[in-house]
Amino acid sequence: MFIRAPKDFWAGVMFLAFAAVTIVTANGYSMGRGGRMGPGYFPAMLGWALAFLGVVLVIRALVAKGESIEPIKLRPLLVLVASVLIFALAIQPLGLVISLVGTTFLSAFATPDARWREAAILSLALTGLVSLIFVFALRLPLPIWPSL
Amino acid sequence: MKANGESVSTTLACSVMLAVSFLAVACASVGGAWAQAYPAKPIRLVLPYSPGGIIDYVGRTLAQNLAGPLGQQVIAENRPGAGGITGTDAVARSAPDGYTIVLMDPAIVINPTLQPSMPYDLFKQLTTVSVVSSSPLVVVVAPELPVKSMDDLVRYGKANPGKLNFASAGIGTTPNLAGELLKLRAGIDATHIPYKSIGQSYPDLMSNKVQFAFSSIAGALPFTMDNRVRAIATTGDTRNPVYPDLPTIVETGLAGFEVDLWLGVFAPAGTPPDVVARLNAAITIALKDPELGKAFAKVGAMPRGTSSNDGAAFVRAEHAKWKKVIEDAKIKLD
Amino acid sequence: MDVFSNILLGFGVALSPQNLVYCLIGSVLGTMVGVLPGIGPVTTVALLLPISFTLDPISALIMMAGIYYGAQYGGSTTAILINIPGEPSSVVTSLDGHQMARQGRAGPALGVAALSSFFAGCVAALLIAVGAPPLAQIALQFGPAEYFSLMVCGLVAAVVLAHGSIVKAIGMVILGLIFGLAGSDINSGVRRFTYGLQGLADGVEFVALSMAIYGLAEVAVNLEKKEVKSGIAQSIGRVLPSWADVRTCIPSVLRGTTLGSLLGVLPGGGALLASFAAYTLEKKVARAPRNFGQGDIRGVAAPEAANNAGAQTSMVPMLTLGIPSNPTMALMIAALMVHGVSPGPRVMTDRPELFWGIVASMWIANLMLVILNLPLVGLWVRLVRIPYRMMFVAIVAFCCVGTFTINSNTADLAVLAFFTVFGYICLKLGCEPAPLILGFVLGPMMEENLRRALLISRGDPAIFLSSPISIGFLLAAAFLLIVVAAPTIRRRRDEAMVE
Repeated sequence: MFIRAPKDFWAGVMFLAFAAVTIVTANGYSMGRGGRMGPGYFPAMLGWALAFLGVVLVIRALVAKGESIEPIKLRPLLVLVASVLIFALAIQPLGLVISLVGTTFLSAFATPDARWREAAILSLALTGLVSLIFVFALRLPLPIWPSL
Repeated sequence: MKANGESVSTTLACSVMLAVSFLAVACASVGGAWAQAYPAKPIRLVLPYSPGGIIDYVGRTLAQNLAGPLGQQVIAENRPGAGGITGTDAVARSAPDGYTIVLMDPAIVINPTLQPSMPYDLFKQLTTVSVVSSSPLVVVVAPELPVKSMDDLVRYGKANPGKLNFASAGIGTTPNLAGELLKLRAGIDATHIPYKSIGQSYPDLMSNKVQFAFSSIAGALPFTMDNRVRAIATTGDTRNPVYPDLPTIVETGLAGFEVDLWLGVFAPAGTPPDVVARLNAAITIALKDPELGKAFAKVGAMPRGTSSNDGAAFVRAEHAKWKKVIEDAKIKLD
Repeated sequence: MDVFSNILLGFGVALSPQNLVYCLIGSVLGTMVGVLPGIGPVTTVALLLPISFTLDPISALIMMAGIYYGAQYGGSTTAILINIPGEPSSVVTSLDGHQMARQGRAGPALGVAALSSFFAGCVAALLIAVGAPPLAQIALQFGPAEYFSLMVCGLVAAVVLAHGSIVKAIGMVILGLIFGLAGSDINSGVRRFTYGLQGLADGVEFVALSMAIYGLAEVAVNLEKKEVKSGIAQSIGRVLPSWADVRTCIPSVLRGTTLGSLLGVLPGGGALLASFAAYTLEKKVARAPRNFGQGDIRGVAAPEAANNAGAQTSMVPMLTLGIPSNPTMALMIAALMVHGVSPGPRVMTDRPELFWGIVASMWIANLMLVILNLPLVGLWVRLVRIPYRMMFVAIVAFCCVGTFTINSNTADLAVLAFFTVFGYICLKLGCEPAPLILGFVLGPMMEENLRRALLISRGDPAIFLSSPISIGFLLAAAFLLIVVAAPTIRRRRDEAMVE
């Protein structure tokens, strides 16, 4: 077969994937009846509706011509996600300052234009600014330094 | 940008200095804790619900009043999530040193029976410090309903099977279980309609889409004052000062029908007995303050203050009582 | 007239030096938290709740209300400048507002947002002064069936928000509904779609979802482009909107205000729908609907007006019925209860100084906010000139810290990471996120009301046809669906519109 509308085709595939997960998960909950719906009823309904739309998109993408997907560069996405995950892992044990310096420094390299010196200064400045706003001005209960 | 960078680095330097001095203080206090009597540093009182509810208010009032008797600040901290489980779990896992305690409502004894899995064991990982307050629920009915008393309600329910709906603040909450208990004890049928909070159910109560509810007094007060819903009974062992004219359900003939939205302070299991005793003593003193009594009364709560043993026995009894209701009414999360 | 003496009484209360100060504190704080992603009015009001116990109830409420309106003003700033809506209501503002910012028209966008909010706020306050009790009655007409039908109508309207493929837009709405279902189900208590994770017990956090999709995923796509600084135009252009801009917006603002004021009165998510509904209406009424989504100033003016009008009229059910429309209102009720004031119909008669003081403070707060926000526009616009390779690092920092501060929960950060990847895929596949967000916000309420209505009717679906309000919304939904789904009808409609 020949995919004539890649954007629509893969969107359809994505919908089908989410629909499958939803339907399988919803089947783990009781369905109930229309009058006394169980927790699985509404999600299962949504799952089937989504699956239908996914099929429509996939079939249409095989028939009608459509847009192709712009080239994908994974570097920005991967670096950004890694920065968030590092923040998630570091914030509780290491506190705001250390984890934020690390996260911002790493995330600066999401673009190939990044420069070491600039990234270092930027991460320190941002950490200072964020700490000032969130911790000192708004007094939010955030761990600032590593807990002993 | 440059000027900004400079000021940031000054701030950073200051922060580092601050941190070093904090560290020094922290070390000193850790070292000193062995010699000094408990409490040597501020105590965290975890409130496992969002701000604005009874727990939040009672907890903050209590925290303020505990500072005097304990000689240390008590910091109330909201840790909401998963119907109180998140905050309680955090305390159950914290160091048993008396510096992290939690204020919880009956959900703490209901959850173990209701939830298929719990992250902590109530009886093994927590110890009761004191049951600090009691607040009965109030039975409210839709104004259109020809029901002026508990007897009327039961009679109406029997005469119109399948017609009654009752509201609650969600499955497994005290208002839900109280309704199920009424169904069991009075032999009537009623459909449970859960809402996010009891306050949310009032528009439907006013328009008779839902016929009755066991509501917290604080939630009911604005609506019963001008009879937009009708209050017919309270669920305490004695009449409530907010509704002195309303009989208790026990008075109306359902013996032992008491439902209490109590609040208790718990500490991690393994907290040294003298620390628990110190906390309990401070709570007892704080609860005697008439100002605190007045403050509690605004949300329909009465100060209580049990010994830690009596409190633990009460908690076990409540656990058994609701376990029986949940099993008899076949309440399941499905 | 009675209303006049009441309003005079109100101004007497609200203009006392003490209340003016608290009003100013509230407005400034509100603008601040509105601008900062992550921390919203609920958190701020919650943090201030203990302080409010020591204040006079009127001052406490005036300050809290100031925070609430202030956050509505401030929220649009981040939505326009960096495309991160901190609240569901500013999602719509970011659609055209951020496009304007990219074209170097951030100033007019921010200016129009502030001016429309101001106008809508004044009108809504007047409306409350004249007709609070009858307005409150509208809220009482709404039961579970009516709310469900309203949500259906809202979701169909969400499809109109998108400008690409309709099938994809519907799919995104459904996907949003599904994401919204994660967490404890209130009808059965079962935890759904949590896969054993304690952190998901209360569902997917809105702020994490919107920051991931609008903030980080968007950054990832922008960074792929060769010319990295292309994210935002370099020239600032005008700082304030021109007279022509304002004139274009007047009808939109009027429609937005009307729609917002009416929907705001409904406690079950009405105010939330206001900005979405206003945008949809503009897009349907407009002569050149194709400009929407490309930086049409009317797409900023109408939702901002609706949003602020709705925020204000959502105080009506709180003040006159004692029913909270949203978490912020619940906190205000808590503050009043502690002072021995039970919100309800009797507040107007028993404590007229409180009721009218708050109504009067609405005007004052709006005046303060517009005075506060217009000069700020110049400052914000300068921020846009920061090179994108620095700007995006700041976005990352605010997204991470903002997400963590909501619940101090690292699970929310995992959600942020997951939806960043998801959002990236959606952007690449041409699936627009706005319908997803509306589905996400409305999904839980829709299911809740559907199941509640069927429980009350003992399973009879005729309950949805039992009241004229419910039937009206369902008919409107069906009509919208036909208009959207049938391209031929739409073409004919567009032609009719051009005349």
